[in-house]
Amino acid sequence: MRYEAPSSSKEAAKLLASAKGKAVVLAGGTDLLVRMKSGAVEPDLIVDIKRIGATQEIKKSGNGFKIGAGVSGARLGKHRALKKAWPGVVEATNLIGSDQIQGRCTMAGNLCNASPAADSVPAMVAANAKANVVGPGGRRTVAVEKIPTGPGKTSLKKGEIIESITLPAKAPRSGDAYLRFIPRTEMDIAVVSAGVNLTLDSKGVVKKARVALGAVAPTVLLVEDAAKAIVGTKLDDDALAALAAACEAACRPIDDMRGTIEFRTEVAGVLARRAALTAYERAGGKK
Amino acid sequence: MKFGVGQPVPRLEDPRLITGSGRFTDDVNLPDQLYMAIARSPYPHGSIASIDTDAAEAAAGVVAVYTAADIESLGGMPCRAVLKDRQGNPCFIPKRPLLAEGRVRFVGEPVAAVVARTRTEARDAAELVLLEVEDLPAVVDLNAAAAAEATVLHEAHGSNLAIHYENGDEAAWEAAAAAAAHRVQVSLVNNRVAPSPLEPRAAVGHYANGTFTLYNPSQGAFAQQGVLARAIFDEPLESIRVISGETGGGFGIRGEVHPEAALTLFASRALGAPVKWHGDRSEMFLSDSHGRDNLTRADLALDESGRALGVRIETLANLGAYCSAVGPFVPTMAGGRVVGTVYRLPALYHSVRCLYTNTMPVAAYRGAGRPEACYVMERLMDEAARQLGIGRDEIRRRNFIPSSAMPFVNHSGVSISSGEFEATMDLALERADWAGFERRRRRSEGLGRLRGIGLGYYVESSGGGPEEEARVRIHPDGSAEVIVGTYSHGQGHETAFAQILSDTFGIEFDKIRFIQGDTAFVKFGGGTGGSRSSQMGGIAVKRAGEGVIEQGRAVAAELLQSEPGRVTYEAAVYRLDDASAQVSLADVARAAETAQFGGEGLAETHRYDRGAGTYTFPNGAHVAEVEIDPDTGVLHICRYTAVDDCGRVINPLLAAGQVHGGVVQGLGQALLENVVYDTDGQLLTGSFLDYAMPFADAMPDVDVSFNEVLDPNNELGVKGIGEGGACGAPPALVNAALHALASRGVTAIDMPLTPEKLWRAANGLSLQERAG
Ligand SMILES: Cc1cc2nc3c(=O)[nH]c(=O)nc-3n(C[C@H](O)[C@H](O)[C@H](O)COP(=O)(O)OP(=O)(O)OC[C@H]3O[C@@H](n4cnc5c(N)ncnc54)[C@H](O)[C@@H]3O)c2cc1C
Repeated sequence: MRYEAPSSSKEAAKLLASAKGKAVVLAGGTDLLVRMKSGAVEPDLIVDIKRIGATQEIKKSGNGFKIGAGVSGARLGKHRALKKAWPGVVEATNLIGSDQIQGRCTMAGNLCNASPAADSVPAMVAANAKANVVGPGGRRTVAVEKIPTGPGKTSLKKGEIIESITLPAKAPRSGDAYLRFIPRTEMDIAVVSAGVNLTLDSKGVVKKARVALGAVAPTVLLVEDAAKAIVGTKLDDDALAALAAACEAACRPIDDMRGTIEFRTEVAGVLARRAALTAYERAGGKK
Repeated sequence: MKFGVGQPVPRLEDPRLITGSGRFTDDVNLPDQLYMAIARSPYPHGSIASIDTDAAEAAAGVVAVYTAADIESLGGMPCRAVLKDRQGNPCFIPKRPLLAEGRVRFVGEPVAAVVARTRTEARDAAELVLLEVEDLPAVVDLNAAAAAEATVLHEAHGSNLAIHYENGDEAAWEAAAAAAAHRVQVSLVNNRVAPSPLEPRAAVGHYANGTFTLYNPSQGAFAQQGVLARAIFDEPLESIRVISGETGGGFGIRGEVHPEAALTLFASRALGAPVKWHGDRSEMFLSDSHGRDNLTRADLALDESGRALGVRIETLANLGAYCSAVGPFVPTMAGGRVVGTVYRLPALYHSVRCLYTNTMPVAAYRGAGRPEACYVMERLMDEAARQLGIGRDEIRRRNFIPSSAMPFVNHSGVSISSGEFEATMDLALERADWAGFERRRRRSEGLGRLRGIGLGYYVESSGGGPEEEARVRIHPDGSAEVIVGTYSHGQGHETAFAQILSDTFGIEFDKIRFIQGDTAFVKFGGGTGGSRSSQMGGIAVKRAGEGVIEQGRAVAAELLQSEPGRVTYEAAVYRLDDASAQVSLADVARAAETAQFGGEGLAETHRYDRGAGTYTFPNGAHVAEVEIDPDTGVLHICRYTAVDDCGRVINPLLAAGQVHGGVVQGLGQALLENVVYDTDGQLLTGSFLDYAMPFADAMPDVDVSFNEVLDPNNELGVKGIGEGGACGAPPALVNAALHALASRGVTAIDMPLTPEKLWRAANGLSLQERAG
């Protein structure tokens, strides 16, 4: 097993592209190392991306925030401007694991691990986040919801890494929120989760909305019908009921010991409703 | 600061433990040690066709591989339960081999032991052991195990029934039931739990110069020594030394010898090198004993005014595939001693069928039978209150055994020596503001949440083995050393027993050295379990200390050229009664070591005998108040009040710690914890992801207080506090949840109260969750 820690994304892409056998990217390692320890993956090459300058930065610009793929949950949680602009995304990322995990885990790692229950992903999808991908063929930008294609699978091609994730600039009168349901209060995997991002007009009517659900399908779902159900409303009871119904209709969850189909489906609607109310409040909406 | 009995002395052991300098078994590493790993059965039930160890033996670093055929000289793991049914038939207890013989009977059963140069090599090689079985149907469900057509685990026995235990008078019950104005029935699940002490098990076995030395976590080294010597190795007691350094929790399941420990000794003798085994968390889920697992139907007969006329309790108890060290004792006699708990029940019939299934053996777990017994009565009382329209406190008041009736002989012939059940309950109701509940309920209702309050009264019968031994020695420098046969594996005896001795001798706390857990010093002792340590070890320590003072008095009299009758003792000084002369405890100890006084030094061994058939009766009232979010099923514990009567409180800090621990374990069982096997016998809860333990942040701030009613039968007046929380919490919590759900028409629900189950109940859905 070879370990490399290149200092540029290009170099990382080259190493990965030319690797024989199994090559993997290492960010915080909170998924990867666990899987290696249990023998679920046995890589021939590990490319650690944390020495790449661009992966360690949080850059604010007119286009929003560019968050390096090596930035830990803990660092994210300390970034005031980011927390103010995207509280839902930051809170979602900060829900991952414990303090120890927070010191290592990354949003990009959470995304590329491609678990349908990944906590930061519904929030990122709702936020309309983009992944900045570097590969042997150059750079491209992809909507985050296009990265995972199924449990443990991504659309990244051989040699490609995510260098950073861009969260758009916060629109005036907008707000986001993320909620998850777990049997315990922490250190558990979401049984169902919901991320909502809203923009209001000056009268408090929802102008734009994005609603994403986690753990109810093989990948995180962007539920357009749910967004439609609340656009043009002030989140009155009927709108909330329509939002919940749209979420329930979109769910295709698994049935297991941790949650039945019935439960995941209904609670998805409940969480979406509650997350929407929080997002609405954060956007300055009054009820 | 004061250090005597009753003072909140911080634990002496904590600085060591929280700075990482405690010495646990995994910290023991001996020169040239080899490592053992266990190959376990992935099959729940099958006859062994072959065990192919060739590949494992050929693997890198492997020194030896053992299967049952290689350890024929060793006995199995014994069960010490002795019980007979009403017809006089003994309980059927099959041999529980260290390594599977002929059949595998549960997933995780040890099949082969692999010894190699490193731990990794041993583990890798263990995966190469090829077990082939002819599959047999797995028996998982208790009702299925009891059925006539069930597959039989232990064929020669002919059925899965180990024993049908009965107690009480069925005819008297029938008569009471016939005369009753009201009948109240409940059908309950007491869920199977994985006790999961923080420290995974480990063992280092070392055979040298004809002596076996075993380092391993336990709840008392002496008991382990006896089992290894007599039941497993058939060697003299002196040839085996057991050393338990620190032990990271036991809860009952560390009270027995486990196959891995014995196998390290066997391998060490065979290979001439120390052998170490250390399980990890995943392996603990497969190989640590489980707790509880009962199905119970109970029927309470009451008169017009809600006074109980009798009760019938019928239980199916799961033993697992074999008997643990206590096995069928737990659901029958251990729980049965307090059957009917704190209530006057003119008639009683108790029936327990203990059954074998293809699951991990069930052992003693915090409370061992008593939490189950209390859960039954408390659910019955609440259901009776609901059906009769009487207050839940009031129905208990009408049925409590009054303190004026003490000692009260119950249906098991056990004499409950003391307790003020009504007064203790009233204290709890007051601290919990039971009366002010309605106001809080309305506030919750306004927020869309269902609020409930519930009560759980428990009584235990504690003490375990009736004998315990302590040895106290005073060194020539005036310091004391105490050796005791109980074994602190987290409880804080080093502190509590020092407090007792500090009181007895009037010497400083830090002059007392505490020794336990090493059979080189501990020559007798029942270990720790059954809330017995302060009442047994504590008394033995106190009496040994008093014996030392008396011995010293004789020596002092000689030194002071007087008579013992004229010598007084106080605060480490012997004085003549006219205060004309004195000699220190240290001087006396020094003199006692000289030939003039026999040279034995100042030391006393005391073996305390409580008397067979006598127990103490810790009891208490616990009140839980909860709020349920009907849309998600999330339950929040708003407040929790515990008023316990554990007799005299030796150290309020330690006692409160025991209450906290017991309550949290009880709440864990009530809310989250559940061992699940699928219908094929595969264990689905193999990690902390699927076996949910509560986290601290979900636990309430437990309001702890005591109603100290001294035990009349021991001079310290102590009763025990280790297990009460685990008895009181499940009924308090479940009764509170049922109270909260009453407005939604819910009258019954089984533990664990997972959010999904509560959500289903609150929304009128079938309570049948997907069973794996
Ligand atoms: C105890 C514990 C608790 C946890 N709790 C939670 C939780 O509550 N919620 C939750 O969602 N998750 C949880 N996780 C999972 C994990 O912590 C998260 O998924 C985390 O965000 C992964 O980030 P990482 O940087 O550590 O990823 P890594 O382990 O480094 O990588 C994860 C995967 O993504 C790939 N990868 C990483 N970075 C990139 C990149 N930049 N480009 C391309 N591929 C990449 C890796 O090759 C690997 O396949 C928990 C894990 C543990 C061990």
